[in-house]
Amino acid sequence: MADDSPASHRRDPIKSSVGNVAAQRRRQNAVTVGKERRESLVRAKRLCRVGPSGDGDVPGEENDMVTDEEGFLLDAQTSSAVEDLKSAIAYQGKGAMQKRVNALRELRRLLSKSEFPPVKAALKAGAIPLLVQCLSFGSPDEQLLEAAWCLTNIAAGKPEETKALLPALPLLISHLGEKSSLPVAEQCAWALGNVAGEGEELRNVLLSQGALPPLARMMLPNKGSTVRTAAWALSNLIKGPDPKAATELIKVDVLLDAILRHLRKSDEELATEVAWVVVYLSALSNFATGVLVKSDAILLLVERLATSNSLQLLIPVLRSLGNLVAGDSHTTSTVLIPGHEITDGVIKVLVKCLKSDHRVLKKEASWVLSNIAAGSIEHKRLIYSSEAVPLLLRLLSTAPFDIRKEVAYVLGNLCVTPTGGDGRPNLIEEHLVSLVQRGCLSGFIDLVRSADIEAARVGLQFMELVLRGMPNGDGPKLVEQEDGIDAMERYQFHENEDLRNMANGLVDKYFGENYGIDE
Amino acid sequence: MAMVVDYKHDSSFPYWTSIRRRFAPDSPFFSSGNIERELLAKQVALDFTEDERNQLEKMIDTDARGVFCPIVGCGARLTLLEDFEDHYNTRHTASCSVCSRVYPTSRLLSIHVSEAHDSFFQAKVARGYAMYECLVEGCDLKFKNYKGRQQHLVDKHKFPTSFEFFKKAHPSKKQRLKNQRKRAVNKKDEEVPSKMEVENEMMEGLVSAVSKLSTSDSSPSTVSFGRRNARGLTFVPRSIQPPLQKK
Repeated sequence: MADDSPASHRRDPIKSSVGNVAAQRRRQNAVTVGKERRESLVRAKRLCRVGPSGDGDVPGEENDMVTDEEGFLLDAQTSSAVEDLKSAIAYQGKGAMQKRVNALRELRRLLSKSEFPPVKAALKAGAIPLLVQCLSFGSPDEQLLEAAWCLTNIAAGKPEETKALLPALPLLISHLGEKSSLPVAEQCAWALGNVAGEGEELRNVLLSQGALPPLARMMLPNKGSTVRTAAWALSNLIKGPDPKAATELIKVDVLLDAILRHLRKSDEELATEVAWVVVYLSALSNFATGVLVKSDAILLLVERLATSNSLQLLIPVLRSLGNLVAGDSHTTSTVLIPGHEITDGVIKVLVKCLKSDHRVLKKEASWVLSNIAAGSIEHKRLIYSSEAVPLLLRLLSTAPFDIRKEVAYVLGNLCVTPTGGDGRPNLIEEHLVSLVQRGCLSGFIDLVRSADIEAARVGLQFMELVLRGMPNGDGPKLVEQEDGIDAMERYQFHENEDLRNMANGLVDKYFGENYGIDE
Repeated sequence: MAMVVDYKHDSSFPYWTSIRRRFAPDSPFFSSGNIERELLAKQVALDFTEDERNQLEKMIDTDARGVFCPIVGCGARLTLLEDFEDHYNTRHTASCSVCSRVYPTSRLLSIHVSEAHDSFFQAKVARGYAMYECLVEGCDLKFKNYKGRQQHLVDKHKFPTSFEFFKKAHPSKKQRLKNQRKRAVNKKDEEVPSKMEVENEMMEGLVSAVSKLSTSDSSPSTVSFGRRNARGLTFVPRSIQPPLQKK
């Protein structure tokens, strides 16, 4: 099992003077602990702790970590808050509205307190129908806001909890309209974003209920937290796997303009969420990819990659670029033409990513390069003579496995001509010789030794290039020096037949009877 | 830029072709980036440091990424790909004390030792007992000769026809030269039976070497030890070695 050691306490002790013990406890819990917490952290759902107008409890030391005893108390308080809400709704007399708002606010506070709000207790007490009632048309903004906020947090947790929002969906969607106040629309978008983040089924429900057009419209203004929340919700809504939502989105009038405008000018936080929308558009919809490639999108993505240092922004921007390169052959053949400024720009920002400290950036940048290296001979020459190659060679020997695998694809692609009609590419001897001389062979042989089928395959394929293509028959000697034979012989008792055949074939062919006699 | 035209050899090898690779958004390829997205988004709200975040990411990634050892019959779960090399060196390198060949399981090693270094085994083979057991654990079939077992592996268990249990592991060049020198020194003194234990020669080479030795001090130049025969059947049961045993 992976290392379960508690978080290091290298934290600066000056950081939080108030509630230090609680903070420490919280931190410890944050890093260790079980599957449930880890699951909750990687969900595509987000708890709302602070309201649109800035009110609400700031995630604070005392409020955050809840012991079992406190949890019990919280559940009891929640049930009673739901009861209060029930009677507030029933009440018809003077000050009814204020009563309702107060009850909602109390429930909302209880649901925003900790990382694991008392959702179960709320549902059990029958919160949903009451909240749906509070969303009815004509209700005052404050009421709508608090109700939507409660629903947001109810939907931020486990699947069955999110599904409980089904009765509320049509009303939430209708409050996205232009007639609604911005904070209300935003809070509803947030709740819907959580619902969409649950899974394909709920996404389909939302799409069939018409959630997409109003959310798309919310992306049109130039700025504001509403735009950001809407973009985030949309990214959850279109993530498929069915591409139809992505295709529908790109067809919304002036939406492409808005996306480009945000990519060009908006602050990094907003641009990040918009970039994720582009990620899903480009990964799922060929139509959207075509539209994006023809627009300025690539230029804008490159610009962001060049100027930003925010990992949050760089990840989706890089991936969008990668999807556009991978998804459409036009990208490399008509936009990223070797010799053009934009192409140099792309290589430059990919190199920047290779140099970064972040694993995801290095891996995905290598992937993008490998696809560009799968282009024409001029593309291969371009990458071969760029700053990328020394970096890649170093990564091949020192980086974590998943990065090394991608790097292997780049280097190998540089050594063969484009896949032509008959499917049998030739070697580019100059590149192969140079890369081998610079020591890349051992990195490939390491991949052959790995337990990953794909990596082993890649390693063996490169070894074949070396064995076949190194001049003066140097290939076998070089492979032997790096213990390549031993690596291949491991496959005799490997369960994968393809790999066994590949390895055995190479050994038989290049290290057969006549190997080494004439020395 | 020089190009090498590939030759028309076996079209069964899947040569490297450079093609674009595209991934669906829910592909495992993107999962570490997706995890990173969510952790970063929650980092501020939940107040963890970058180190804590990295640690979390590693733990989450590990949960997802375990792999099983691909050596036949092993099935051990490896929590991280990086563990494979250690696991392999610990569990799959059983080496023969006689000839230093290495096998991935102790069972295969003991089969090898019986078949290659045990004259008792050979005696039973000569008397017609089915001594060559199937290499696949649980199969339990036995055969009277190597070839028969080999065929069974190919037919029943889909082993590739080029698979050879007795295929000699390739020593490094240094090792080969060392072996050559060592053999040249020991040759004259060595007994005939122990010669049988050397597997890495062709049948003819073995026979002629032995016959030469038994007659005189002819030079060993026609006998080659070491790498030459890398392929195929190198050890043959005594029962069919003409100069040594009357049938």
